[in-house]
Formats: sequence, structure tokens, C-alpha cells
Amino acid sequence: MTRPIRKIMVYVDGSEQSITAAQYAIVLAKALGAELYALYVVDTRALAELVKSRIFLESEQEEYRRDLDGDASRYLNHVRELARRKGVPVTTEKSSGAVHVEIKAKVSEFAIDLLVIGEISQIRSRRDELYNETERAMRNAQCPVLVAKGEDKIWDLYEAME
Amino acid sequence: MALIDLIEETVVRAPLKAVGKEAVIRELVDTLAAAGKILDAETAYQAVLDREAKGSTGLAEGIAVPHGKTISARELTIAIGVSPDGVEFGSMDGKPARLFFLILAPPDKAGPHIEALAEIARMSRSKAFCSALASCRSPTEVVRMLKEE
Repeated sequence: MTRPIRKIMVYVDGSEQSITAAQYAIVLAKALGAELYALYVVDTRALAELVKSRIFLESEQEEYRRDLDGDASRYLNHVRELARRKGVPVTTEKSSGAVHVEIKAKVSEFAIDLLVIGEISQIRSRRDELYNETERAMRNAQCPVLVAKGEDKIWDLYEAME
Repeated sequence: MALIDLIEETVVRAPLKAVGKEAVIRELVDTLAAAGKILDAETAYQAVLDREAKGSTGLAEGIAVPHGKTISARELTIAIGVSPDGVEFGSMDGKPARLFFLILAPPDKAGPHIEALAEIARMSRSKAFCSALASCRSPTEVVRMLKEE
């Protein structure tokens, strides 16, 4: 029987939950001998939405786009460092667009077997469910999805791993 | 992180005492400082004023979303204000603003900052909800309404 999980992708958005997800993905990748990918999506759709609603000026859109690019590099570097400490190679990928659309596309492009995401905020309304990008990624991804819950336990697992 | 996770009674001013644009921003920034959400009110206040100087964040239907990036905020933080009589904020429709969402974020946390602003943009499309929110007369009412939304 072939291994069911050969490629794992973790979605990183800079939140603490997504960093916990990255730690768990590193633990899993090492335990399963799987290839690890880390994805950050610069949410250009949200930026456009903010200009359309006039919360952002056009010039502000560019400024925040640069900030998000900087965030992407910083957080992907952080994941690279977390993986390096545990001797796990990781391929980092930066993309831009609507988050859930990009996650779905990258899962398909890299033939990912398991998507790992951070804990999702509590969904309080139908509107939340419609707009929460991580929630939408979970529903739309064409592969099994693992939600990394239990920050303390995951931290212990990560730290304990040789 | 969902916007609602950041909202608690200590960051809500309902009703606001201030009656002018800069005074509203000051009152909301001071509210965040009093709640221990920011390190230095003056730096944060200046960051919001600098942004407002480029163009008003007063939207239509009585909503304003003053915001700024500042090292004074360790994490994304929000204050909400309700002004029953409305405040002249240079809004796009010329009407006074009654509902204020002031957002501060550290310069290296653009993602959550944008996510929070996008959430407010979506919320602002519901005129009925915003009108109901602007009618709240206490922080308790504001928090309850947002959490029940």
C-alpha cells in the first residue's frame, strides 16, 4: 500500500493559530516522512474590498500590499526556521488573491494529500461562515483537512521531537 | 482572529462624550489606553490623525473607521464609539457619523489589520444592523448586539 500522506501543506496567515498549525505540520511531516509545503496568501481581494468601501485610499492599498508582502516573507521565514530546527525540509510558497481560492489552487498544483490549518475562530453567524477565509478553505479544499487544535499539546510535541 | 474576539465592554464608549472629530479619536484612543490595549496614547493618536489627514475614513450611513499603524499597539486592537447626536467627520455622504470603529495595529501585523477592516466593511453594508448598533446606549448593549449578530 502506498503511503496515504506524502505531501502536507500548512496555511500560514501570521496568526498564532497558524504558527501552531505549522509546528504540527512539521511534527507530522517528520513522523510520516512526508514533503512539507508552507503557503502564505497575500489577501489582495480584501485590499480591493477596502478601497471599494472607501475605508482605504488607493495609496493606502499599495502601502498595505507592501506590508503584506513583508509579513509573508517574515512568517514563511519563521516556518522555515521552525522546520530547520527539527531537520525537516520545507518548500515555502507565497501567493496572492482570494485566500480560499489560492489555497484550493495550490493544493491542486502541488498534489497535496493533507492540508493543515490553524484553529478557526468561533463562527457566530451565517455571515461569518460565508466570509471566514480559513473556514472557506476548509470547505473548498480538494483533500483531507486537519485543524490543528490544542496549542500546548502541539508545542510539547514539537519541542519533544528530536 | 475574528473581530468579535477583540471586543469587550472596556473598549466601548456608548455614549461618546466628544462632539468633534479629533476629540472622538482622542476619546477612543484614551479608552484603549485605559483598557491597557496600547502602550502610548499620544503616539497612537498621532498615527490615526496622520491617516485622517490623507482622507477621511467617514463612510456613508453614519459610520467611520479611523485606523492607523503604530508601534504603540502590541496586537491588533479596536475601540467602538457611539455618538447619539452624530459628529461631523467629513463623511462621503456629508452626514454626521454616529458609529465609530477605531482600529490600531502594529506595523508588522498587516494581515490581521486588513482582516478586521474587511469585516467592518462587510458589517457596514447592513444598514439595519449599523442603525441598531448606533442606537445602543451602553457598552453592554453594544457588546451584546455584536456577539448576537
